[in-house]
Amino acid sequence: MSLRRTQALFRRVVREIRRDRPSIALLFIAPLVVTGLLTFILREGETPTIDALIVNQAGQPGTLVAAELTRALEAEGATVQAAADEVSARTAVADESATVAVLLPADLATAQPPTITILTNGLDPSADGAQVAAVQRAFLAVVASAANGAPPTIEHTTIYGVPSSDPLVAFAPALVAFFAYFFVYLLTGVSFLRERTGGTLERLMATPVARGEIVTGYSLGFGLFATLQVALLLVWVIGSVQVPSIGPLPAFAVGLGVDVAGSPVLAFLVVVVLALGAVSLGIFLSTFARTELQVIQFIPIVLTPQFLLSGVLFPISSLPAVLQPLTAIMPLTYAVDGLRQIFVRGADLGIAELRFDILVLVAFAIGFATVASLTIRREIA
Amino acid sequence: MGQPPVLATGSGGAGVPAIRAVGLCKSFGPIRAVDDISVDLAHGRIYGLLGPNGSGKTTLIRLLVGLAAPTAGSAEVLGVAMPSRDNLRRIGYMTQADGVYPSLTAAENASFFAAAYGIRDASAVAQALDVVELADRRDAITATLSGGQRRRLSLACALVHRPPVLFLDEPTVGVDPLLRIQFWEHFRTLADAGTTIIVSSHVMDEADRCDELLFMRSGRVSARGTGAELRRAAGTDDLELAFIRLSEGPEVEP
Ligand SMILES: Nc1ncnc2c1ncn2[C@@H]1O[C@H](COP(=O)(O)OP(=O)(O)OP(=O)(O)O)[C@@H](O)[C@H]1O
Ligand SMILES: [Mg+2]
Repeated sequence: MSLRRTQALFRRVVREIRRDRPSIALLFIAPLVVTGLLTFILREGETPTIDALIVNQAGQPGTLVAAELTRALEAEGATVQAAADEVSARTAVADESATVAVLLPADLATAQPPTITILTNGLDPSADGAQVAAVQRAFLAVVASAANGAPPTIEHTTIYGVPSSDPLVAFAPALVAFFAYFFVYLLTGVSFLRERTGGTLERLMATPVARGEIVTGYSLGFGLFATLQVALLLVWVIGSVQVPSIGPLPAFAVGLGVDVAGSPVLAFLVVVVLALGAVSLGIFLSTFARTELQVIQFIPIVLTPQFLLSGVLFPISSLPAVLQPLTAIMPLTYAVDGLRQIFVRGADLGIAELRFDILVLVAFAIGFATVASLTIRREIA
Repeated sequence: MGQPPVLATGSGGAGVPAIRAVGLCKSFGPIRAVDDISVDLAHGRIYGLLGPNGSGKTTLIRLLVGLAAPTAGSAEVLGVAMPSRDNLRRIGYMTQADGVYPSLTAAENASFFAAAYGIRDASAVAQALDVVELADRRDAITATLSGGQRRRLSLACALVHRPPVLFLDEPTVGVDPLLRIQFWEHFRTLADAGTTIIVSSHVMDEADRCDELLFMRSGRVSARGTGAELRRAAGTDDLELAFIRLSEGPEVEP
C-alpha cells in the first residue's frame, strides 16, 4: 500500500466534494433540516380543534351528564354545542362543521352500564383518534366527579369506513401516492439529466422539436411506466390471492388485501395524474443538477417535507399552525386526501371534495409541465 | 450517393447568402468566445473553420444554429433570422460531442433524429447509415460501437434529413484515414448538389479540401481565404506552419 497514492486519492475525494456544493448541503444541512422539521412537528404540533356536538336522547337524566360533559370538554379547550338529534349530528360531522358528536342513549339512566356512542368522520383515523381520546378523558372526569355507578361503555363509530378496523385502509392510499410520486420523479430526473449531460439535448434542440413536444413525449413515455407501476402497486395493495399449501409450504396470501370502499379505477386515475406531475417535476429539478447524485440530493429537500407534511404520517390538523399553509402547495396533500376519499369514504366523482382534489392535481401537472418546458429553453442559452 | 438535398430557398432568394452573421458576439463572463464576427457564406461551398482550441469555433456554430443567444449581433441561415425552430428543418448539426443515445441501436438513433426532423421515410435512415458505412452495424447497441463508429453514427444523424446547410464540428475525429477520404468525397458530392457545409477541423489536409477557410483567433475571424491565400498571408508553403504562424504571430488582415 503506497502512502502517496492513498494520499492522492484522499485529496482528490476531498477536492471533488468541496467543489460540489449540493453534496455539502446534503451532508451537513439536510440532516439538520429534516430532523429539525420532524422535531418541530412532534413537539409543536397543534392540539386538534374539537368542535363537539352532544345529542341528549335520555331526556331529564341526560341533561346533567350533558352539562358535566360540556364543562369537562370545554376544560380541554373544545367548543361544545347541543344537537337536536342523531341525524343532524351526523350531517354536521359529515360536512366537517363538527369534528365529533357524542350520543347519550335513551337508556342512559337505566342500563348497567349504558353505551355512549362517539361519532367521528373516519377519513383520517389518526385525526379521529385524537377526538375520541379527548372525549374519553372528558368522560373520565365526569364519572370521577359523579362517582355513581359503573363507568359507561364507549363505542366509536364513523361516518365513513369502520373505525380502527385495519390501519392500512387509511395508510395504504398515502403510501401508494408517495411511492408513485417518488419513483417517477427519480426515474425522470435521472434520465433527463443524462439527456442534458450526454449532449443529446443540445442535439435535440438543433432539430425542429418543440419544448412542449419534449415534455409531452417524456410524460407519455414515463407516464406509461408510471401507469404500469401504479396498476401493479394498487393490485398488490388491494388484492389478496390465496395460494394453497404446496407440499411443505403452508398456504399464504399474495397481496396486502386492503379493503377499498370506492372504485380502484378512480384511485388509479388519481395516482396517474399525480405521477404525470412528477415527470415534469423531475425534468424541472434536473435543471439544477449537474450529476445524478445531485438529482438524488433533491429528495431530502423536496420530497421528505412532502412526506412529513402532506398527511401521509401525521394528520394535517395536528401539524404546527405555521406549517399548515405549506400543505396547500404540495401535490401529495391532494393525492393523499383524494385516495382516502376513495379508499375510506367510497367517494365517486359525485363527491365535491374528490373532484376538487383531482382538479388541483391536474392543475399541478399542467403547471409543472409548463415550468419544465420553460426551463428547457433556459438551459440552452 | 443519395439524392440531392431538398434545396429549400424559402424566404432566401438567389441573392441571399446561405449564412450571414452581422456583428455576432457571445461572452461568457469575462471571456469573449465570439467577438464581433460578420461574414457572408455562399451556397454550395465547403467552408473550413480553423483555429486553436478555445478560439470560438463551436460557439460560433452554436450561435449560427440558434442554440446560443448572442450577446450582440444577429445570424441568418438561408435568409431566415436565427433562432428559428422552423428553419432548423433545413439545418444539420453534428456536435463536437457525439450526442447519440447509448442504449439505442445505431438504426434507432438515426430514425429517432429523422423523426425529430419530420422524416418518416425509412430509406433515409438506411441511406444515412450507408454513407457512414454502418449498414452492417445498424442493429448494434450504440454503447458497444467503437469510438470512431459512434462518431460516424453521429454524422449519419446530422445528414439523415438531407439539409441544405450542414454544420459539422470536427466530424472526422477518431475516424480512420480511408473512411475520412470517403467522407470528404461525400461532402463534395453534397456541396456540388448545392449544400453549404461548415466544417471545423484541426487536420490540415482536410482544410485543403475546403473551398474557403475561416481562421479564428480569440473569438474573431482573423484570416479568410483559400488554403493558398492563407499560405501566402503566412508566408509559407506548409499549411500546418501557416496555422501555427496565424495562431501565434501578429494578426494578419485577410
Ligand atoms: N458554456 C460556456 N460557459 C463558459 N465558457 C464557455 C462556454 N462555452 C464556451 N466557453 C468558452 O468560450 C471559449 C470558446 O470555446 P469554444 O468551445 O467555442 O472553442 P473551440 O474553438 O470550439 O475550441 P476546440 O477547438 O477546443 O473545440 C473558450 O474559452 C471556452 O472556455
Ligand atoms: Mg469546439
